[in-house]
Amino acid sequence: MILIDNISKTYGKTKALDSLSLEIRQGEIFGLLGPNGAGKTTLIKILTTLTKPDAGTCIINGKNVILSPQEIKSIIGVVPQENNLERELTVYENLLIYGMLHKVSELKKKIEEILIKMELSSKKHSVINTLSGGFQRRVLLARALLPQPKILFLDEPSIGLDPNIRRELWQIIRGIKSEGRTVLLTTHYIEEAEALCDRVGILSRGKLIAFGTPLELKRDIGEYVVEFTDNKGRLVSEICHSREKAHDIAKNKNDGVTIRKSNLEDVFLKLTGERIRDIERE
Amino acid sequence: MTGWYPIFFKEILQFKRKLLRLGYIFSAMMSPIIYLVTFGLGLGKTVMLAEGTDYLTFLLPGLVAMSSMNNSYSWVASALNLSRLYFKTFQVYIQSPVNPFSIMVGEVLAGVVKGLFASLLIIAVGFVVPSDFSITPLFIITLLLNCFMFASLGVITGMITKSHEDTATYSNFFIMPMAFFSGTFFSIDRIPLIFKPLIYIMPLTHTNIVIRKSNLDLDGTISLTVLIFYCFIFFIIGSRLIKKYNE
Repeated sequence: MILIDNISKTYGKTKALDSLSLEIRQGEIFGLLGPNGAGKTTLIKILTTLTKPDAGTCIINGKNVILSPQEIKSIIGVVPQENNLERELTVYENLLIYGMLHKVSELKKKIEEILIKMELSSKKHSVINTLSGGFQRRVLLARALLPQPKILFLDEPSIGLDPNIRRELWQIIRGIKSEGRTVLLTTHYIEEAEALCDRVGILSRGKLIAFGTPLELKRDIGEYVVEFTDNKGRLVSEICHSREKAHDIAKNKNDGVTIRKSNLEDVFLKLTGERIRDIERE
Repeated sequence: MTGWYPIFFKEILQFKRKLLRLGYIFSAMMSPIIYLVTFGLGLGKTVMLAEGTDYLTFLLPGLVAMSSMNNSYSWVASALNLSRLYFKTFQVYIQSPVNPFSIMVGEVLAGVVKGLFASLLIIAVGFVVPSDFSITPLFIITLLLNCFMFASLGVITGMITKSHEDTATYSNFFIMPMAFFSGTFFSIDRIPLIFKPLIYIMPLTHTNIVIRKSNLDLDGTISLTVLIFYCFIFFIIGSRLIKKYNE
């Protein structure tokens, strides 16, 4: 469905993407996981025709993104990281204009349908600026889904949302997958990648450093993590492949030892020596 | 070729909302009225014109041209710059299956409407004050071309500026001098010969020449041709900038 071959992109002296190759299958939710600045948004921008790569090719549904952008645009939907709705217009007006741009047939009927589906009917005539962040995200999703795209790009879909609204959004995204659409989402939330994605690609400084199902990635590094405080007072973790091994390690430590299942943050730590949240803080 | 309509529709929808705020209409009228009072009823008495021409009759078409330039240009340049750099709404057009030419048409036509609206306010004032101000078919054609030309220039500015402050810089360098030196307030015949080539490069000069004519003579035909040329060039450059858009 999406074939990314050796894509590179540099901004000034910063290499945003470095010879990245990836294949995304039809009907899956694929997650690009990595800290801010890893290159996730740059990749989305290239795939959605906003940015041209310095090298490499991207094929979507058999079409080259750089050579046939118009064909690509008619089969994709995009939910950007930043809210780019027309803030002084109503929900309905935003959907109407977007539908006209995408030449959606029976537009008014389809707007009503999507408003019901996204539980936005009561907000139909609300001006975007008056809506909460959660509702604005819903409108962004509704807008992207209105032309019934084959592929949906979601750039940090739940950024800034509180946990309850985030979970509601996950339900909606699962529903989109069940309709047979392909979803490519970027996130720096470990929990989100694990909860939603069939497969995950981990990005660090423009490079793809790991690729597979969340379970495969965790199995590769070890499924158990023993966390303890060392004699200098630092929190240290050791990753092991079996529960028995984890218990053996824990037995030799002092109080305050925790054994837990590994997660994608541990995968990132193991592969890069850094934590996603630490890079975020930098 | 209907891809331009949603873009035009959106701009007009937003424009309508702004019109409902009374402040907008007054602010659009403010500077031309200040000029009309200051020059038309005050300083204008000192301006020398051809025998038999009163100053208000001379000034009003110039003010219409200036106001249409300011509004067509500023609305488009500012809105495009903000939507591209801050609100990121321009990216919605780029990611839609609409060709760049249609985006250009939509933006420019919306700019034309905004320029015409501001011009209508001045025209209305023109019929209230005592003058021989009249509207001819040539006046309407020139006004339309002027709006089209400066809306296209607005797209160029909106696409090349790197921050919102840049639009003010461009305006100070290009729009402001044109407003004062292109024959809005006094005849360009009075400008020293050495500056004339510069004056004739400015597109508004040609608008001011044609908009004051009742019939198309040689001078008028040349200026009208220059206006059409500028419209074409600005439109092509704007379309290409949209086509080459790359973040």
